[in-house]
Amino acid sequence: MFGSFKAGEKGKIINISKVGRLVQRRLLDLGITEGSEVCVKCVMPFGGPVMIESCGQCVGLRRKEACLIEVERI
Amino acid sequence: MEIALIGNPNTGKTSLFNNLTGSYEYVGNWSGVTVEKKVGVFKNHIGKLIDLPGIYSLNPLSKDEGVVTTYFLEEQVDRLLNILDASQLERNLHLTLQLLEYEKPALIGLNMIDVANNRGIKINTDKLSQILGVPVVPVVARSGKGCDTLIEVISTSSNHSKVKKHVYYGKVIEDGITKLSMELIGKTDHSPRWLAIQLFEGNEYIHRYLSDLIEPNKLVTLVSNLESAIKEENGNIKSLANYIYLKRKKVIEKVLEASVQKVSTIVPLSERIDAIVTNRYLGMPIFLICMYLMFMLTFDWLGTPLSDVLDGILTGPVTAGFEKLLGVIHASDFIHALIIEGLIAGVGGVLVFVPQIFILFFFISLLEDSGYMARVALVMDRIMESVGLNGKAFIPMMIGFGCNVPGIMAARTIETPRERLMTILLTPLMSCSARLPVYAIFVGAFFVGHKALVVLSLYVLGIVVALLLAKIFTKTLLKSEASLFVIELPPYRLPQVQSLWRSTWDKGKGFVRKAGTFIFAGSVFIWLLSYAGPNGLKVDMDDSFLAAIGNLFAPVLEPIGFGTWQAAASLITGFLAKEAIISTMNIIYFVPENASLQGLLSDFYTPLAAYSFMVFILLYIPCLATAATIYKETGSKKWTAFSILYALFIAYVLCLVIYQGGKLFGLV
Ligand SMILES: Nc1nc2c(ncn2[C@@H]2O[C@H](COP(=O)(O)OP(=O)(O)OP(=O)(O)O)[C@@H](O)[C@H]2O)c(=O)[nH]1
Ligand SMILES: [Mg+2]
Repeated sequence: MFGSFKAGEKGKIINISKVGRLVQRRLLDLGITEGSEVCVKCVMPFGGPVMIESCGQCVGLRRKEACLIEVERI
Repeated sequence: MEIALIGNPNTGKTSLFNNLTGSYEYVGNWSGVTVEKKVGVFKNHIGKLIDLPGIYSLNPLSKDEGVVTTYFLEEQVDRLLNILDASQLERNLHLTLQLLEYEKPALIGLNMIDVANNRGIKINTDKLSQILGVPVVPVVARSGKGCDTLIEVISTSSNHSKVKKHVYYGKVIEDGITKLSMELIGKTDHSPRWLAIQLFEGNEYIHRYLSDLIEPNKLVTLVSNLESAIKEENGNIKSLANYIYLKRKKVIEKVLEASVQKVSTIVPLSERIDAIVTNRYLGMPIFLICMYLMFMLTFDWLGTPLSDVLDGILTGPVTAGFEKLLGVIHASDFIHALIIEGLIAGVGGVLVFVPQIFILFFFISLLEDSGYMARVALVMDRIMESVGLNGKAFIPMMIGFGCNVPGIMAARTIETPRERLMTILLTPLMSCSARLPVYAIFVGAFFVGHKALVVLSLYVLGIVVALLLAKIFTKTLLKSEASLFVIELPPYRLPQVQSLWRSTWDKGKGFVRKAGTFIFAGSVFIWLLSYAGPNGLKVDMDDSFLAAIGNLFAPVLEPIGFGTWQAAASLITGFLAKEAIISTMNIIYFVPENASLQGLLSDFYTPLAAYSFMVFILLYIPCLATAATIYKETGSKKWTAFSILYALFIAYVLCLVIYQGGKLFGLV
């Protein structure tokens, strides 16, 4: 799961449907959806947001939403 | 001819707009800079160019995106100019396909070619143009490279896409499209195919539009039938929108395969910088240090010496020159006093701060253009979340440091209405540049050793109060948990000297212009009020109308440390424009010869009262222009009134605590 990822680790999204509808839409807009390869760039302290990268595009999203994304390590 | 600029956020649409029309609209390196439609005329007068907010798809989530969909539905576009970010082609093409479905003449400006080259991405534009059936022109909007070719292509070819159906959505959907098209015959000028696909994707705006043409029930059943048919046909499809997305994605993959080559992969410098500024622990301190440095430069190292020089020129040679001139033309006493004690004191008193204002604007422009803005939003999100907002709300607030009006406009990019309203209400608490002269004068008079620190404390206080209020509003007035935070972090871009200067100048110009118009007129008016009184003209200022008005409110201000009519009068004018506070003070405390307002202030204020006064100025009321913008953006008199009243209340209570508390602790 994404929640356990540390900065620098990579994975491939296998299920994003548990995330809220709006967040899912926004991620989709940014080209992040099932099948996308993502890399965690940094994780803010105190349960803050995470910054992920996909296709050269960096995106910030909240930890609790990131945790709902199912990812397999690659 | 009307040409509309459409594209993903932050792809350089406004940069190109500025280049093609020679205007200067707001450019910045984050998503959601442009939030309204802007109209310009091509330099060579071939037609009008429309700049629009950036969108990812025609199905809007936030208000700024809605502006574009509304534009598509309601206005006559002759031609679409679709701007693509060459380094992010895949994502950008989803929008392009939707635009081509709109079936209006279109052409593509392939922007950021330089960035793509740096990343080792090679794009075959001829091939791309051939597949999409519309002209593709590579440009670099920032430097203007390729703009001539673009104009040529716009004015010569007709740009109707040569390819008719870019995406075949499968039999079920295509049948649905045909069915809807039959219903729509003769009812609309828009492409029925486009309307149908947008409807199937769940576009609310289109749904509303179609509901006026077709019986709403029919629409709903059509869509739900389609959805179940699709789900039946494909087991793993979750929704109609998802299905359509995947169909487009397939087409895009083919397009890319044919036209894009990845030569090499290079780790951009951007990511190395990010490792530092968005570091777990360093992120927040770095932000505060940046702010502190900004204030040191503005108020201490650079700004104050420059202002002093300007002040010397204004009170010295300029005043002397006017005196001489007035002597030569034998001006009456009245005119003499009006010019010297009214205008020069009032307008000059504000103009003195031009250097400091420009330094502040320079830093804000740097923040906007470098790409740091979105990072700050990311760093701040945890705190913002705890008070019921999201990190994106911090962007309007930071813009508000320059001027609250564009700050409030920027709140349009916030997706949830509740968070947007809250941001609109709280942005006026951010200390705008018009409040800066007050701080400059007061810290100069009372806190010489700690100028930057005292000013920083005020800015931070503004933020802290805003956050606390956000928490209170979330708990009481605006209850709801809905919060959404997904932010695009653009790559860092080294700001160019020229664009930095232009954007600084553009913001600073407003300040100078206001001094020449609004403050000019205000100064005359204030001076007249101070010159005339119930007993005639040329009265002692304490017997003037201005004093009488100020005295009405002075008793109320007594408990917070500045119960003088002078303070009250300047606060009243401050509602019209915050700069007017200083021009009013300069007129009221007019001192001929070279004694300065700063020196005089210590007769009227103690340091504690001075701090309390600054806090009051920081919080007490949104200025007239800001209040008007709040009304425009919320469309509600109630919220506008609320924004004024809560600010007054908070300012008063806080100053009471500071002043009375301070006195208790023996501060004076
Ligand atoms: N390197 C490079 N940077 C560019 C180019 N065009 C624009 N930029 C930069 O990209 C950033 C975004 O430019 P804008 O013109 O504000 O983009 P926009 O599409 O209007 O953005 P929104 O209004 O937010 O949708 C700015 O920092 C520009 O300086 C380009 O061709 N090359
Ligand atoms: Mg723009």
